[in-house]
Amino acid sequence: MSMRWYVVRRVLWAVVATYLILSVTWGLLALTPNPAAEQLQFRAAASGGSAEAAREAFEARRGLDRPLWDRYSDYMVNMVTLNWGWSDSRSQPVMEAIAGAIPYTAVYSVPTTILSVLLGLSIGLYSATHQYTRTDYAATFFAFFGYAIPNFWFAIVLLLVFSVQLGWFPVVFDPDVPLVGFAMAHQLVLPVVVLVTGTIAGVMRYSRAEALEYVQAEFVKTAKAKGAGEFRILTRHVLRPAAVPLMTILIGDILGIFLAASYLVEVVFGIPGLGQLSYNAILAQDTALVLGTTLIFTFVAVIGNLIQDIAYTILDPRIDYGDR
Amino acid sequence: MSADEPAETFESVDWDETGSRFSTLSRRDRGAIASLALVAAAFGYDYHLLSADRPTLTWPIRWNVTQLDWLFIVTLLALLFYVAVPLYSNRRLTAHYWAEFRKNSLAVVSLVYLAAVFLVGVVGPIFLSKPQLALAQSHQPPVYTAVNAAVPVNCLGDVASGMCHGTWAHPLGTTSDGKDVLVLVVYGMQVSMKVGLISTLLVVTIGTTVGTVAAYAGGLVDEVLMRYVDVQLVFPAFFLYLLLNYLFGGSLFMFIVIFGLTGWGSMARLVRSEALQRSEEAYITAADSAGAGTLYVIRRHLVPNVSNSVITAATLLIPGFILFEAALSFLSLGDPTVPSWGQVIAAGRSDLGTAWWVSTLPGLFLFTTILAFNFVGDALRDALDPRQET
Repeated sequence: MSMRWYVVRRVLWAVVATYLILSVTWGLLALTPNPAAEQLQFRAAASGGSAEAAREAFEARRGLDRPLWDRYSDYMVNMVTLNWGWSDSRSQPVMEAIAGAIPYTAVYSVPTTILSVLLGLSIGLYSATHQYTRTDYAATFFAFFGYAIPNFWFAIVLLLVFSVQLGWFPVVFDPDVPLVGFAMAHQLVLPVVVLVTGTIAGVMRYSRAEALEYVQAEFVKTAKAKGAGEFRILTRHVLRPAAVPLMTILIGDILGIFLAASYLVEVVFGIPGLGQLSYNAILAQDTALVLGTTLIFTFVAVIGNLIQDIAYTILDPRIDYGDR
Repeated sequence: MSADEPAETFESVDWDETGSRFSTLSRRDRGAIASLALVAAAFGYDYHLLSADRPTLTWPIRWNVTQLDWLFIVTLLALLFYVAVPLYSNRRLTAHYWAEFRKNSLAVVSLVYLAAVFLVGVVGPIFLSKPQLALAQSHQPPVYTAVNAAVPVNCLGDVASGMCHGTWAHPLGTTSDGKDVLVLVVYGMQVSMKVGLISTLLVVTIGTTVGTVAAYAGGLVDEVLMRYVDVQLVFPAFFLYLLLNYLFGGSLFMFIVIFGLTGWGSMARLVRSEALQRSEEAYITAADSAGAGTLYVIRRHLVPNVSNSVITAATLLIPGFILFEAALSFLSLGDPTVPSWGQVIAAGRSDLGTAWWVSTLPGLFLFTTILAFNFVGDALRDALDPRQET
C-alpha cells in the first residue's frame, strides 16, 4: 500500500470517528431530559402553573416536538456549519464564547508545550548518555514525582506557599492585562510550572528509553571514532532514529494529559480559558455550552491522533501500512 | 505460570473433550465460579427480598451493602483466586519473583505502604463511624502543631500564649465543619481502593478477553474487534464522563462503570500484540495439532503467557483511576455522598491561609499512594518482564 493511500484512509477514518462521536452525543442528549427544561417545569409547578404545559412550551421553542430524523439532520448541519447554538448562561453564541476563551488557554499552553518538550528531551537524552550516574537517578526520581503528584493539589500547595505566604505571585488571575507582556507572564509562572512537571515526566522517560537503544549502536561508535563532538552525536546520530517513536508520545500522550490537566489548572488558578468555560457551563446547566466545549476537547484529541499517525508514517518510511 | 494441577500431562488430557465449554476450567476456576454464584445469590436476596433501607447484615456489624460494595467483594474474590492462590500454589516461582522484586528496595517499602492503605481502607470504615458534622470542634490543628487560637471556634487542646495546640483526639486535625481529617482519610482510602481495583479488574477482564480472542481467532473477528477499539480510543473517557455526569448526575458507581467499560482499548491492543507473538510458538502448535479447542488454547496457553504484561500494565492503571476520581471529586463532579480524598482537598481550599492541614494532608496521602503504585509497577515490570527495557 502506498503512503498516500494510507494517509487518505487515515483521514477518512478520523472523519468517520468524528461522525460517530457526534451521533453518540446526539443520542445521549435526545434520550435524557434536559436539566434546563426540568428546572422550568419545577418553577412552573412551584408557581401554580402546569408542569406539562411548561414542558411543551419549552420543547416547541427549542424545536424538540419535531420528528427525530429532522432533529438529527438539523443537529448535524448545525455542527458542520459551526452553528453550535446559544449559551443561556452567557447570553452569547457558543462559538463566540469558545473563541473568547481560546486565547487564554493558548497563552499558557504554548509555553508549557515548548518548555516540556525542550526540557524533557534534553534531560532524557542527558540521562541516556550518562546512565546510572547521580544525575540520571535524580532525573528518574523527578520524573516519578511529576507523574505521581496530583496536578490540582500541587497547584494548591504552590499557591499557598508562593502566593499566599511569600506573595511573589498574584493569588487571583487578572484577565484584563495584555495577553503578551510581562504582567501576563508573571501571573502564568505557577500554572506553567504545574503543567510542565506533569507533562515533562512522560517525555523524559520515553526519550531516555528510546535514546538508550542507540547510544551503543554501531553507527554511534563510528561517529565517535571519526571524532564527532558529543553534541553532534546526540543531535545527528541518536536523536534522529529515536525521534520516530518519540513522535507517538509527543503528540498523543502530551495532548491527553494536557486536556485533563488544563481543565483542573484553569479552575484552580481562575484562568478564564476553555476548561473553566466548560466547568462553569456544567455548574450553570447550560447544555449548549457543555456540548460545545466538550466537543472541542474531543476534536482536539481526534486531530492529535491523526497528526500523530501521519507524522509517524512520514518520519519512518519503513513502516508497513497494511498493519496498523 | 504453570498449570495448577500437576497430575495433568500432555498424555492424560482428553483432547476431544477440550472442545466443550466446561472442560477448559481448572479446579481454581470452579472455585471462583462457585463463590461468584454465592455472592450473586446473596446479592439477589439483598436486592429483591430486603427493602433498600434495611441493613443487609445486623450481626456482627450493621452493614447495608451497596451496589459498589458488591462489586468490591467480587473484585476481592478475583484477587484471591487469580493472584493469591496461584502465588501460593507455585511457591518456587513466587520465591523467584520475590527475589527479583526485592532488589528494588523503594518498591518493597511502597508495597508495604500500599498493603497498609488497603487493609486500613477495607477494615477501618467498619469500626470508625462516618464523619459527623460537629461545628463546635471545627479547625482543630493536627497533633504536635499549633495555630493562632482565633482559628478554631473552640480549642480542644492546650492554649498557650495565644496558640491552640492539637490533641490526640484528632491526630490530623478537623475540617471547617468539625469532621476528623484522619477519619476522612481512612474513608478516602476505601474509596480510592474501590475505584482503582474495580475499574482495573473490569479493564483487565475485558481487555484480556478481547485481545486474546482477536489474536487467536484472527481474520474477520480480529478486524471487527480492533476497529471497534479504534473508535473507542478516540472518544476520551474523561469528556464522556463529564457529559454523562452533566446529564445524569455523578456517582462513584457510574465513574467505575464508564472508566471500566471504555478504558480497556489500549489494554486490548497490548494483549493482542503480545498474544500474536505467543500464538506462533511451539506449544500452541502442539496443542492445536493435538486437537485442542479454541477456548482451551486461549484459556490454558494464551492467557497465562500474556499475564505478566497484563499484571504490569494493570499496576500502572490503578493510580491513573485513583487520580482521575480525586480530580473529578475535587471539581465537585464526583459522587457527593462519598467522602473521597479529592472532596476533602476541595473543602479545605477556601481556608488554606488559616487551616493548611485540611487540604495538604489528604493530598499527601493521595500523592504517596500514586507514587507507591508507580514504584511497585516499575519493579514488577523488571521482575516479571525481563524482555522489556524501559
